[in-house]
Amino acid sequence: MWKTVLRRVLIMIPEVIVLSVLVFLLAKAMPGDPFTGSIGPHTSAAQIHQLKVQAGLYNPWYQQYWNWVVHLFHGNLGTSFQYQEPVTRIIGERAINTVWLALFTMVLTYAIAIPMGLYAGRHQNHIGDNIIRVYTFVTMAIPPFVILLIALWIFGYVLGWAPTTGSVSATASGTMGTVLSRLQHIILPGLVASLTGTVNIVQYLRSEVIDAKHSDYVRTARSKGVPTTNVFRHHILRNSLLPIAAFAGYSITGLLGGSVVTEMIFSYPGMGLLFLNSISYRDYTVITALVLLYGLLNLLGTLLSDIILTAVDPRVRVQ
Amino acid sequence: MSQNQLDNQSSIDKADLEKLSKEAEQEAAPSSLRIVWNEFKADKVALTAAVIIVVFILFVMIASLFINQSQAMSTNIMDSYDKPFSQFILGTDQGGRSVAKELIMGSKNSIGIAIGLTVISSTFGIVFGLVSGYFGGIVDNIMMRFYDFMMMLPILLFIIVVVTIIPSYNAITLTLILSVFYWLGTARLIRARTMSESKKDYVSASKTSGTSTFKIIFREIMPNISSLIIVDTMLSFAENIGVETTLSFLGFGLPNGTPSLGTMISNANDPNNITQYWWTWLIAAIEIIILTISISYVGQVIRRASDASQRLSDD
Amino acid sequence: MSLIEVKDLEVHYPIRSGFWNRVTDEVLAVDGLSLNIEAGETYGLVGESGSGKSTTGKSIVGLEKPTRGQILYKGKDITKPRNRRELDYNQDVQMIFQDSLSSLNPRKRIEDIIAEPIRNFEHLDKNQEKLRVLQLLDIVGLDADALYKYPHQFSGGQRQRIGVARAVATNPKLIVADEPVSALDLSVQAQVLNFMKRIQRDFGISYLFISHDLGVVRHMCDNIAIMHRGRLVEIGTRDDIYNHPMHIYTKRLLSAIPETSVEGRAEARAHREAVEREFQENQSRYYDKDGKVLPLVDVTDTHKVALPADEIDKEDK
Repeated sequence: MWKTVLRRVLIMIPEVIVLSVLVFLLAKAMPGDPFTGSIGPHTSAAQIHQLKVQAGLYNPWYQQYWNWVVHLFHGNLGTSFQYQEPVTRIIGERAINTVWLALFTMVLTYAIAIPMGLYAGRHQNHIGDNIIRVYTFVTMAIPPFVILLIALWIFGYVLGWAPTTGSVSATASGTMGTVLSRLQHIILPGLVASLTGTVNIVQYLRSEVIDAKHSDYVRTARSKGVPTTNVFRHHILRNSLLPIAAFAGYSITGLLGGSVVTEMIFSYPGMGLLFLNSISYRDYTVITALVLLYGLLNLLGTLLSDIILTAVDPRVRVQ
Repeated sequence: MSQNQLDNQSSIDKADLEKLSKEAEQEAAPSSLRIVWNEFKADKVALTAAVIIVVFILFVMIASLFINQSQAMSTNIMDSYDKPFSQFILGTDQGGRSVAKELIMGSKNSIGIAIGLTVISSTFGIVFGLVSGYFGGIVDNIMMRFYDFMMMLPILLFIIVVVTIIPSYNAITLTLILSVFYWLGTARLIRARTMSESKKDYVSASKTSGTSTFKIIFREIMPNISSLIIVDTMLSFAENIGVETTLSFLGFGLPNGTPSLGTMISNANDPNNITQYWWTWLIAAIEIIILTISISYVGQVIRRASDASQRLSDD
Repeated sequence: MSLIEVKDLEVHYPIRSGFWNRVTDEVLAVDGLSLNIEAGETYGLVGESGSGKSTTGKSIVGLEKPTRGQILYKGKDITKPRNRRELDYNQDVQMIFQDSLSSLNPRKRIEDIIAEPIRNFEHLDKNQEKLRVLQLLDIVGLDADALYKYPHQFSGGQRQRIGVARAVATNPKLIVADEPVSALDLSVQAQVLNFMKRIQRDFGISYLFISHDLGVVRHMCDNIAIMHRGRLVEIGTRDDIYNHPMHIYTKRLLSAIPETSVEGRAEARAHREAVEREFQENQSRYYDKDGKVLPLVDVTDTHKVALPADEIDKEDK
């Protein structure tokens, strides 16, 4: 198994290289240069030229790319001209919020999806199963941003149950107060985002339970007199637990992509909102860093899932 | 020579040809189109959904011909925030633009892009999946490396960056940019089915019958996964409506002045609009909900029709 | 000159493993096999599953790419795709598959299925083509109303007839029949076998008849080759194989033919056990130290067997 994991990691290396080249070229293609913010109206053309030469902007692209990579390895992602601060610090501040929201969403997703999937599979074609099927169908069909927006409208504005912007309210004080305020802010976006995330797990678990119900080992267990509930808990759930855990890695892609939309609708100051702001301010150093970071996180998520799946099923091996 | 041999062995000759083919036609099996049609007749909800989609798309396409886009999009402060059913049937937005007209133009653009995106990305995904699934081996290996790489890209962020880089773009370039990224799901699905289909003996039989590889892939294997293709295309269509409207909602879809359902919904980003002037965004949101649900439902019914054991209609 | 000459055919499948997924080993599905098929004869290729007989058949129709060796047809090596194209090889060499359902494209009407090779190799107009299809259906005993039906509307035996009709559509010289009846009911087996024989008589076709069932092979074949572990253990006429088997593996296969008469049951069983004992005890004499089959040695003009020379002398006495 360790061989498989190692091979999987090695396959990743060229992917990371291509991704970084792509991100670098995108950054190069963006209009403007890193001095856009620091150049005053009195800076002469000669001075600008001098700055550019110093920064190596006239070097061939591969040389610039190499410099960029070296800086990356030193943790130097450049300076945001919008905030005039190191990019790492800005992203670091926002990342905490996004991680909170993502974690909360993921926990909720599993908390909702596992009982739902088990119930639907156990009571196949009964009324509860039918309701769950309609639910999964609807949440899959409607674009998530519409669901998020309508939830914000109803629960945030009309009913006033949840805050409509921010991550922690300014009036919150003390550790307890901060945590509570944070929870208050992520509960609605987290809940709604998790609803759209449940679909895959519910459908997988449901069909898994239905298959297992007809399998020999469950029939044997039941004919031995093991109570139905135990059969479900010990046999079926245990068999499908790791594959479901593997969804966590894959869903990182969805959670990160979704964070842009969710954070915008709820004005939640995470990395997604930072990205959109940086785009409108053309803050390229931040944009480049974020795209690279998101790509790397996707990669790690997929790697995680693949490793879990290899651990579960020897048939799933890298070709 | 072989014709003569056959003539000797078989009692059938040219004279019987017409009579026999007539007889055979009466015994012909029902076509798959007829099966799908029966399924729709048996499921009234599906029929309603299909009618909604067709009528709505036709209405939007025809009605938009009678609306002058630049006139409909010009601001008119005097009519700002008119309520529905007053002077304007669905009210006006902040700029005094008729929501009804904007809705028709926006739907036309959003649906148009979704159709274009579905056609391009599904075609690419289908061909990609068929080729990599049929050939397998090293061809498949290389193609899957590319696929894995695409899967890893933060697609939404990439598209937003690309849209900001490109100085001027329109509906067509936007569709093309989106198509680069949204073929992955289709490709994976088609590849998996093609792999299992390629192992079947009828493919070997076609090879020994002298049929070319191109024909085997597209005329022998593809018809056998046609129901999968149709269902996946329907679901992609619903999804692609979401793709364009999400981008427009974020402000990176169609350029300014080109209405889209997404830009209309982005009116809700203003706290005043979302509560007081709900008609400026909610109607467009409801339209998207109805449309995407109807399309997905029709997709489900076709899936059911293609699976004989799940059919509601009996024939 | 023989219709088809197979010379030292080898088909290897790579086994990949290890860190880089390199090819670390090979499965020798076919490991040096030579045989000649004459025009108009039925050649039986018999062996247990996994002995490489299907792979041999697939190589002969060009579905499998041999690792080494030659297959000569009209003096050309048809293991090369270019030569196959030049000769329109598959017009002359066709195949009947074991699984009749999966060998017929479920989305195509019977007319299109049978007409497929005709469309590729001959250029007939629509009416000529339809007439040909109707005649082919007639020959395999199906009515004209099958024309616009789909494969799933037929029974297994009927589908196998459609497969035969497709195989004979271009008037081939050789048909490779890969276990054509083993998926069918016994009663239907006889029907299908009988009209395969009739077609052979009427059209002068050769069959390479691949089967694991020596009972069926006896009914069909003039010459028989017994295959084991990718190589031939014995070749001979029907009489050679059934009445003078020499290799222990052949004897073993023969003893496994089910005996239907009640009286002979105990006797047959004793014989079977004796053969099995001999096989277990003397296996090392019949196979080399790697467990491979020995090279073939002539016994008579028609009969060859994979035995050490001293064994043959002993048998002759």
